[in-house]
Order: sequence, then structure tokens, then C-alpha cells
Amino acid sequence: MLPFFLLRYREFGVLISVLAIAGAFSALSPRFATLDTASSVLTITAEVGVVTIGVAFLMIAGEFDLSVGSVFAVSGTLLAYLVAMGVPEYAAAALVLSAAAAIGLANGLITIRTGIPSFIVTLGMALFLRGLLYAATGGFPVSYKGEVLPVVFAERVGDFRVSGIWFLAVAILFYFLLHRSVFGNWVYATGGNRHAAKAMGVEIERVKLVAFMLSALMAGLGGIMYVSRFKIVEPVVGLDLPLEAIAAAVIGGCSLMGGIGSIIGAALGAALVGMTRVGLVLVGAPAYWYITFIGIILIIAAIINTRLSRYA
Amino acid sequence: MPEPLLYAKDIHKSFGPVAALRGVTMAVGRGEVVGLLGDNGAGKSTLAKILVGLYRPDRGELYFEGRRVNFRSPRDARMHGIEIVYQDLALVEDLPIYRNLFLGREPRRALGMLDIEAMKREAEKLLREIGINVRRPDDIVRRLSGGERQAIAIARAVKFGAKLVILDEPTAALSVKETEFVLDYIGRLRDRGISVIFITHNIFHVYAVADRFVILEHGSKIADLEKRCVERPETIVDIIAQRLRPDQVGC
Repeated sequence: MLPFFLLRYREFGVLISVLAIAGAFSALSPRFATLDTASSVLTITAEVGVVTIGVAFLMIAGEFDLSVGSVFAVSGTLLAYLVAMGVPEYAAAALVLSAAAAIGLANGLITIRTGIPSFIVTLGMALFLRGLLYAATGGFPVSYKGEVLPVVFAERVGDFRVSGIWFLAVAILFYFLLHRSVFGNWVYATGGNRHAAKAMGVEIERVKLVAFMLSALMAGLGGIMYVSRFKIVEPVVGLDLPLEAIAAAVIGGCSLMGGIGSIIGAALGAALVGMTRVGLVLVGAPAYWYITFIGIILIIAAIINTRLSRYA
Repeated sequence: MPEPLLYAKDIHKSFGPVAALRGVTMAVGRGEVVGLLGDNGAGKSTLAKILVGLYRPDRGELYFEGRRVNFRSPRDARMHGIEIVYQDLALVEDLPIYRNLFLGREPRRALGMLDIEAMKREAEKLLREIGINVRRPDDIVRRLSGGERQAIAIARAVKFGAKLVILDEPTAALSVKETEFVLDYIGRLRDRGISVIFITHNIFHVYAVADRFVILEHGSKIADLEKRCVERPETIVDIIAQRLRPDQVGC
């Protein structure tokens, strides 16, 4: 028996989707089922995946974060700036992650104190940060001058990049936090029925604040991983990321209403996004089709998940 | 009367210009089932929320086991031994029974991890105790009947040491058979010395198990009657409907 409660069927849905799409791409391109492709998929999955896991965690707690794309871009850019100013790379990374968490805290505080839906608060935060980023960079890419973080976050080890290990570590950590810890039980309860949670003494505001911070923190980590790989960051990076991450989370079985979802599902959803991006390139489809394709998968996955949840 | 378990004295509570409670005083004895009655908007729920620390009274005093108490949160009230069970918001529907049972009081291992084995073991024991034998601890609450949910929510409160359980419309959404199941369970609790405040507007549900009836109207207590002084449930209906003055009932 699987050790996961209630997610047995929901993860089954995304697993089927992942296998179906892998099968389709393998049939269409002989280069898909290779180690090289697996490496590319894992690299993209890792960056989208850490963000998706944070977003999924927050969604399960009952809130949204549309600012992850801007936090991703701001984090990468800020890191490049700090290192260019002579800040040691680890210290710069720590500062960037703290800044990301602080943005998450702001998202959370505004949402909780005002009662405005987090959808709106984080949309506002996304626009605010993106505008700041355009103003600070003048719209030009910023290059990364450091040499330590690219090794830590994006070095090639054999056929794969070390970012895959970071993704795995984040997934395992969040798995234990959400499914095995006391706090995780509060997260589910807060998203599933906040009145019940509150009545049972769960401090739902604090639970949500932490979830907002973790979501932003993971977006910041994603941004650091991205700039470590490319050593340059454009101010438009991550524009589609919030919707990609939410799509991946929903594909992975998260409910938009909160209280339902899993880390393994979210990770598989991110893998599906990564596979689609790489696979479409391999089969020679124009890059524009990617988002269209994700849209179709999202709707199909949501239908499958709804059907499956009746048997959960 | 011996010292009551709970004594609420002159409780006032307003929401903006609306006075929900205008000086209510009531007591609950040990092992006593008190039916708290009144029409919609009489102040029953507000009073209950004050007793469990969800609201703080504007004025008035609370005594529990003879000591003055001042609850800042439901956790606070629970630590003293007062717990409320809501009609439909007690449980998280998408979580399994065992996770609901321990919500907010999870047994921990190192690093804040859940002791899942202990939770499931205890859940199984509790289900047997209540008399729900067809369910497993990892069944999702969504699949349970209303009576099963209610009984589980009450059992949860008692399991964690509640001396006073407040039931908010526990039978409102239940079938006749399920209502009997829940009432029977409440009777068993009283036999164990647990006190119960049973909030309802259906006097016929509470009449069988209550020892005393407290009736609220527009935020004030209009009657406080021992069961032995009330011959028929219809008497209570007449008081609530103002066809009868409380002082016309007596013994």
C-alpha cells in the first residue's frame, strides 16, 4: 500500500498524463527517449519544479501566488547586481533569499490584514516588482560575474545538472513538511476548512504567512538556479512562470479551492511542463506552440482529476 | 446547589450598534446537560463563542471550576476543558478521520513530525468506542454520514479532556435514526460526568437528554428551568413563542 493518504488516485492521474506525453514524444521523435533529453527535461523541470512546489504548498493552504515570476526575475537580477558590487556569492544568495521571503511575507500580511483575495494582492505585487525591475535595469539583461554559484546550482555532473539534486532535495523536504509534519496537517486543514481549523486552535494566519513566505522563497531559489545556469538574466524572464506553476500544480492534482494536492503530484506536474517544453522543440514544433499545448494539457488534466476525485 | 462547573455572569457583547447579548447569567453543573434554546438571533451562538474563547465579552465574568477565567483563544478555553462542536464546520472533509481527530493536538515525533501510527491506532480505538465499526481511520470524512461526523467530533472533544462540551445544533441536519444515535451518545457522556450545553431550536431533540433549559431572547435570558418543572416540551415552545410567561411555569 502506498504511504500517501487520499492522493493515491490523484497522483495516478498525473502519472498517466506524464507517461502518455512521454510516449507520444518518443513516438514522434527518436531523440526524445535519450539520456541527453532526460537531462534537458530535468534541468527545466528543476527550475519550474522548485517554484511549482512552493506554489502548490500555498495553494493547498488556500491561497495563490501570481508574483512568483517577478520574484524569480528580481532574485536572479538582484543576485547578479550584488555579486557585481563585490558581495561574496553565498552572502549574496542568502540576501536574495531573505529578500524573496520578505516579499512573501508582504504578500501574506497584505492578504491577511486586508482580506483582499491573494490573487489580487500577488498580481499587484507581480506588476509592482516587474516595473521596478524594468526601471532598475533599463530593460537590459544583467550578466552574472560570479563563479561559485554556477557550480553549486548548475554544474554538469555526467549527463545531468546538479540543479536536479536541488529539486529532489526541495521535493523531499516539502514532502515531509506537508505530508508528515504537524505543520503540514495544519496546512491541509487551513486550506480545506479554515473554520474547522481555527476552531481546533490552528493559527491559520500564521500557517498562511509561512506558506506565502515559502512560495516566494522557492521562487527566489528558482531565480538563483536560473541565473546560475545562464549567467545572464533578462528583465522579462519568468513572465509566464506563475501560470505555468499553477498549471503544473493543478495538473499534479492541487485544487484551486485549497485543501487538496500533494508534493509528488506537483513535482510530476512540473516534470510534465519540462517534458513538453523540450519535447516540442525536438519534434520541430515552433516555440509558440508550447503555451498552447500546456493549456490543452491543463484542461484535460483538470477534467481527469475531477473525475478521479469522485473515487478518492 | 454545589459549585457549578461553569458560571457566566452578566455577559454583554455587541457588534457595532447591534447588541447580541445584554447581560446573560447562566450556570452549568457537573454532569449536567443544559439545553440552550431560543429563536434565531437570540444570542445562543454568540454566548457559545464567548464560552469557548472565539469572542471576548464586552462586559461580564466567566468562572470555570470556581476560578475566574479569561479566554483569549479557543486553545485557551480548550486547555481549561471547554470545547465546542459545530454542526457542520467541525471536520475537514478532505482529510481522513485520523487526521481530523488530532487536528490542532497532533502527537509529535522529533522535528515536528506526526506520529501517524499512534494517530491511526487511537482513531481505531475511538471509532470502536463510539460504535462506528464500518469505518477505517484513513477514510475521508467526506464519505461519512452526518451522524457519524457529529459523533466523531463530540468524541474528539471528550477524548482530549473536555469537561464541558458545547454542541451547536448537533442534530439539525440529521435523520431521525442518526439523531437517536447522537442523543444516545450524549446520554452516555453525561453518565461519565461530562457536562453538555446543547444549543438548538428544536426543543423536541433536547428534551429527552437535558436536565435544564435556558431560554434566550434578543440577547437576554428569559427563562432558566429545571427539567422536573417542565412537564412537556410544548411548555418550552410556548415560552419561546411568548404564549406563556416563564413565571407561570414553576415547581
